[in-house]
Amino acid sequence: MKILVPVKRVIDYNVKVRVKTDETGVDLANVKMSMNPFCEIAVEEAVRLKEKGIATEVVAVSIGVTPAQETLRTALAMGADRAILLTTDVDPEPLAVAKLLKAVFEEEKPDAVIMGKQAIDGDNNATGQMLAALLDLPQATFASEVVVEGGKAKVTREVDGGLQTLEVALPAIITVDLRLNEPRFASLPNIMKAKKKPIDIKEASAYGVDLAPHLKVTKVTEPPKRSAGIKVESVGELVAKLKDAGVI
Amino acid sequence: MEIGLLQHFRNFLGDEGIITDVDLIAPHLKEWRDRYFGNTPFMLAPNSTEQVQKIVKFCAQNHLKLVSQGGNTGLVGGQIPMGEILLSLHRLNKIREINPLDDCIIAEAGVILENLQNAAAQNNRRFPLMLASQGSATIGGLISTNAGGVHVRKFGMMRQLVLGLEVVLPNGEIYSELSALRKDNTGYDLKQLFIGAEGTLGVITAASLKISARPKYSVNAMLGLENAQMAVECLHALEEQTAAITAFEIMNKQALQFGIKNLGARNPLTELHNFTALVEFEGAFPDLPEHIEDALSTLIEAGKINDATIAQNEAQANSFWHLREGMSAAQKPEGRAAKHDVSVPISKIPSFLDQAEAAAKNIVNGARIVAFGHISDGNIHYDVARPENMPDDEFQNFIKDINHAVNDVVVSLGGSISAEHGIGIARKDEFCAREPKAHLELMKALKAVIDPQNILNSRNLFS
Repeated sequence: MKILVPVKRVIDYNVKVRVKTDETGVDLANVKMSMNPFCEIAVEEAVRLKEKGIATEVVAVSIGVTPAQETLRTALAMGADRAILLTTDVDPEPLAVAKLLKAVFEEEKPDAVIMGKQAIDGDNNATGQMLAALLDLPQATFASEVVVEGGKAKVTREVDGGLQTLEVALPAIITVDLRLNEPRFASLPNIMKAKKKPIDIKEASAYGVDLAPHLKVTKVTEPPKRSAGIKVESVGELVAKLKDAGVI
Repeated sequence: MEIGLLQHFRNFLGDEGIITDVDLIAPHLKEWRDRYFGNTPFMLAPNSTEQVQKIVKFCAQNHLKLVSQGGNTGLVGGQIPMGEILLSLHRLNKIREINPLDDCIIAEAGVILENLQNAAAQNNRRFPLMLASQGSATIGGLISTNAGGVHVRKFGMMRQLVLGLEVVLPNGEIYSELSALRKDNTGYDLKQLFIGAEGTLGVITAASLKISARPKYSVNAMLGLENAQMAVECLHALEEQTAAITAFEIMNKQALQFGIKNLGARNPLTELHNFTALVEFEGAFPDLPEHIEDALSTLIEAGKINDATIAQNEAQANSFWHLREGMSAAQKPEGRAAKHDVSVPISKIPSFLDQAEAAAKNIVNGARIVAFGHISDGNIHYDVARPENMPDDEFQNFIKDINHAVNDVVVSLGGSISAEHGIGIARKDEFCAREPKAHLELMKALKAVIDPQNILNSRNLFS
């Protein structure tokens, strides 16, 4: 069984995000970039399936600027076997990413795509679903448990109000949620091995997909600062203050 | 309490500056490891140097004793009043000036270290002092205890970061030299007197401090090591190969086990090693990780390191540091311990660990040795935790003997019985017994000249 794992290079989620002074976007100059945390969970799950003897090959794929190679190296250090990078300087929208992944899927013919439910930069939560639709394949989103058996995947997903278990025939698209697993630390020997694993670098433009954005960002601003709260002495005072504020 | 006295302070401090509510004072009377519990008639919380000056002047005139306190993170009991008036500097918390071009920041005593670090960062500079309690510890206390932390090898202790001080002297006069100068050889360097003086010679109200360039790239690695000798060799081998080490911390197996068990942390390495090192590297160029990876794999191939992992993102780096910085908290559920904060020459660390363990276990068989700390500057936090099945009360009887035995080893290796926490009240017996008489006499003479009435932190240092 071959698993394709798309991974995205994003601003490290522990970095305090700053808005550019001209309000055109987030300042990425000299900012630590890392693998999207949901993608990390997807890589971990694929590697665990390989370690269990269920998967035979894990292929990581990324779309983005050349330094996204570092993100792929992290996936390789975690245990992916090889990687593909489609280079582009534009920041493609989910539909364009899904179309490019469809093209990679058709080249690679994997038995499953395991990917993050969303990237923490755009927070779109769209690419996995779009990819399933474009490929006309089953999808199981927000996975908190994945069991692969007999050409099928049993996926427990986190939904409002509880858990739902789906069974999907493979190949399928599985998007993962935070509670699926805890990604491993990359050991130094594996980091060194990863340097020797192949990364196939191609131009994204070669796939004939329209990468031009269809949305225009007009302005990015910081959320308004919260003003300090006050302490009240009694329930009565609390109710009075809430009434003053016109909220009850 | 005399109403007149309270009213006197209230007249110039205002209601916010004098606290009599027992519940509000309580957190200031308890050392966070539950080792010291104090008492005080009331707490004064001035918000300006002038107010501190008025307080000290009044106390000097009326023979009233003060204990000054910052973030209450001290580990030797020096900040806990035992009947004295508590002088809390926490409202003296303004950053007065930041001058990136002078590489200088002027902060008041009550500024929390983390806030100072953030203020420097906002100006594209860095204040390099880094320690576990940085979210609470304040500048005044950090100077008064000459705090150290994890960056000492590269940036020095607090003393090396202080350019100038503003201090209220025990007679109410002010020593003020908030200088931005790196070079100033005019007479005695008086500010040095107050650094590490544990509040006995004056109340520090503000300081001018060194800031420097921010690191552009950093790499955090965890190393699994066979023994302490390997740790010392690795420190030097990595320094020679990378010239980029900013911190090199170790934890022995017991320390890491407590961390994993009591902090709910994961071991970043697949196995437990006799020693685990957390190494931080910093550099200005993007190929830093590659250099570190190469240097570390050379050491693995040479059999100098058992295993290693490199943080792939900030979350992983933070989880490494969470383990290291949680070492004190991780010990709390394990019961009483004889704690030591010692330093020896780096090359003597392996001998110290061997000899101290033998000495401690000779007193209490089955004691659990928790050793961790800053191998890069020779400072080891050496804690001897009670055997698992021994009651705290029983173990308590052995603590003094263990302290003495461990300190004997330290001194025999040319070390110090207090590396970075200070003497306070916890270590003054050991300190006064071991310090050469001539040194002690000189220290006491200084104290007598500067604070003849002995009103400031009078129980610190000397028995």
